[in-house]
Amino acid sequence: MLRGFGNFLLKELKELIRDPKILLGTIIVPLIMFPVLGAVMSFSVQSAQETAGKTVIIVLNHDNGAASSEFITYINSSLRVVEAHVATIADAVPLLAENNATEIVEIPADFTRNVTARIGVQVKFGSVYAGSGLFEGIGSSVVDALVEQFNRNIAPDVVVPEKSAIVKGEIVEGVDPRMLSSLMISQAIAMPITMMILLSYSMQIAATSVAMEKEEKTLETVLTLPMDRFAILMGKLSGSIIVAGFGAVAYMVGFNYYLGSFAAMIPAGANIDLVSLGLVPSPFGYLLLGTSLFVALLSALALAVIISSFAEDVRSAQSMVGYIYPFIYLPSLALMYLDINALPLAVRIIIYAIPFSHPIIASKAITMGDYWTAILGIVYVATFTVVIMYIASRLFATERILTAKLKFKGLRRGKKNATEELQ
Amino acid sequence: MASLDSAVAVVDLTKDFGEIRALNNLSFSIETGEIFGLIGPNGAGKTTALRVISTLLLPTSGSVKVFGLDVVQEAARVREIITYLPEEAGAYRNLSGREYLEFMARFVTKDKNRFQDMVNEAAEICGLGDRLKSKAKTYSKGMKRRLLVARALMSKPRLTVLDEPTSGLDVLHSYHVRDIIKRYVKDNGVTVLLSSHNMLEVEHMCDRVALVSKGQIVAEGKPAELKERFESPNLEEVFAKVVGFA
Repeated sequence: MLRGFGNFLLKELKELIRDPKILLGTIIVPLIMFPVLGAVMSFSVQSAQETAGKTVIIVLNHDNGAASSEFITYINSSLRVVEAHVATIADAVPLLAENNATEIVEIPADFTRNVTARIGVQVKFGSVYAGSGLFEGIGSSVVDALVEQFNRNIAPDVVVPEKSAIVKGEIVEGVDPRMLSSLMISQAIAMPITMMILLSYSMQIAATSVAMEKEEKTLETVLTLPMDRFAILMGKLSGSIIVAGFGAVAYMVGFNYYLGSFAAMIPAGANIDLVSLGLVPSPFGYLLLGTSLFVALLSALALAVIISSFAEDVRSAQSMVGYIYPFIYLPSLALMYLDINALPLAVRIIIYAIPFSHPIIASKAITMGDYWTAILGIVYVATFTVVIMYIASRLFATERILTAKLKFKGLRRGKKNATEELQ
Repeated sequence: MASLDSAVAVVDLTKDFGEIRALNNLSFSIETGEIFGLIGPNGAGKTTALRVISTLLLPTSGSVKVFGLDVVQEAARVREIITYLPEEAGAYRNLSGREYLEFMARFVTKDKNRFQDMVNEAAEICGLGDRLKSKAKTYSKGMKRRLLVARALMSKPRLTVLDEPTSGLDVLHSYHVRDIIKRYVKDNGVTVLLSSHNMLEVEHMCDRVALVSKGQIVAEGKPAELKERFESPNLEEVFAKVVGFA
């Protein structure tokens, strides 16, 4: 045994465990965060299963024979069937919304004859692609499972599904929505992960930069310089945004290579052009997305500046900023798996109330052409940002920037300590 | 009694931090071109007074004017004519000494010639030579303090407020810093307000001093006058007599 090791270790443990910042950040936050995260995941899986069970399929039966009746019975066992008397899938598209349906199947006139003869028959399927999350296309998966089950009972490959995606009301022939989901994984994952890394990284930079001024004792000098105090705040925020921006670009370049591995999984020859499908934001969409990201970033940085103003040194500032992370991570992870519209109202309100959710919500909405959701989100986050910026600017304009100090063992005691130092 | 025409006029200044009264009806004035020292033990309220005068803290009551400008109502204008050197000030670790001086000079002037003169003057004052090219994090405490004193003086402010200017320095560095201040101030007509708990040091630097205890001025005058009045060989003993220790 190393001489003195035990004694030193005991001292270390006492110091670390007694530090409320470490206790809160390392033990309490994960104890709360991970069960919540688990609940989100469990809810998302449950929600996906429920969605699959509630999937409504519009059936166009041009056959009306025994086999088609049996096939419909099969489908009906897992999905809710609505029969429609129109000629083609394109004609059935307008019926989707009124029936709350996401799938259409068109059974051809020679279905029973071919099935009875064990001759392969092409059955057309149309699946709505709404870009809502990682579990998008689960309805299409259920259809696949049902067809497979039907074929197993009758004959291998007797029913050959011919799939199309329905994107924004338009039929895209030969494209399986699951393929689109794979391609759109960057939408579903990239934005939440970017948000998590960009926001937490830039908040750390902003908090460090403010705390460094205090720790290195340069703040007092700066506050007596002939400059606008708001310029100090803006300088700190802009510096953090620029450095974090470089970090985000570097991160996105790396992440792009990572996503390349997903693209490689898409079958060769699928030849899906997301631009022609309208699944890539327009220039206006990009502008909205950029604005949404910018205001969210600004609000996070202003929040970090306020919080770190209460810290005495860099370490404390970084720990204190860590308390904001659950508000970034939870909505990001939740929205990675879930469609916000499928969530219970209370959860939806909480997610909408967190400003850092909005760029993720906006990215999904903009892809699907829903600009209003993005615009309203920007207005909300901008308002939040203005309020936070006002508080931050007031903090810098007054002596609070010097006297503010937060103690976990009681504010009153913290105030006294601060006062003693000031004298 | 403070005069309103003075370089600094502090009248009935009170500053409370919650229940604690740091300054209690403090009044004094400083004439233009004077080196004025606030002296007293730690916790006497010296730093609080300097911070109020430097527009960092707001007074609870009373008034403070710097060359006729109110430190609360006209704080921005006050900041244009003063410089402040905090007791434990630091320089930006990753900037070189010269970069730090240039950064500070840019707040004072947009004129290229004046800017260059200011930085050159600061380089001469601090006497760091080639070490100005090194990052501040490589400086010793003495070098850092010399850099900061040079920063406070280089713009020839109308008033410079120096909180414990030789704080933490060894004898030789203290001597150098004191010498810089005295020489520069006399040459350029800058008014100086400094604080120190080192009364012997202040005795040799200041034209006038005010002894502060528990947020109040307990005696004020020229060092020689105070020593004579209290029949003491130095200010340290004067202070002890005033507060009843001797």
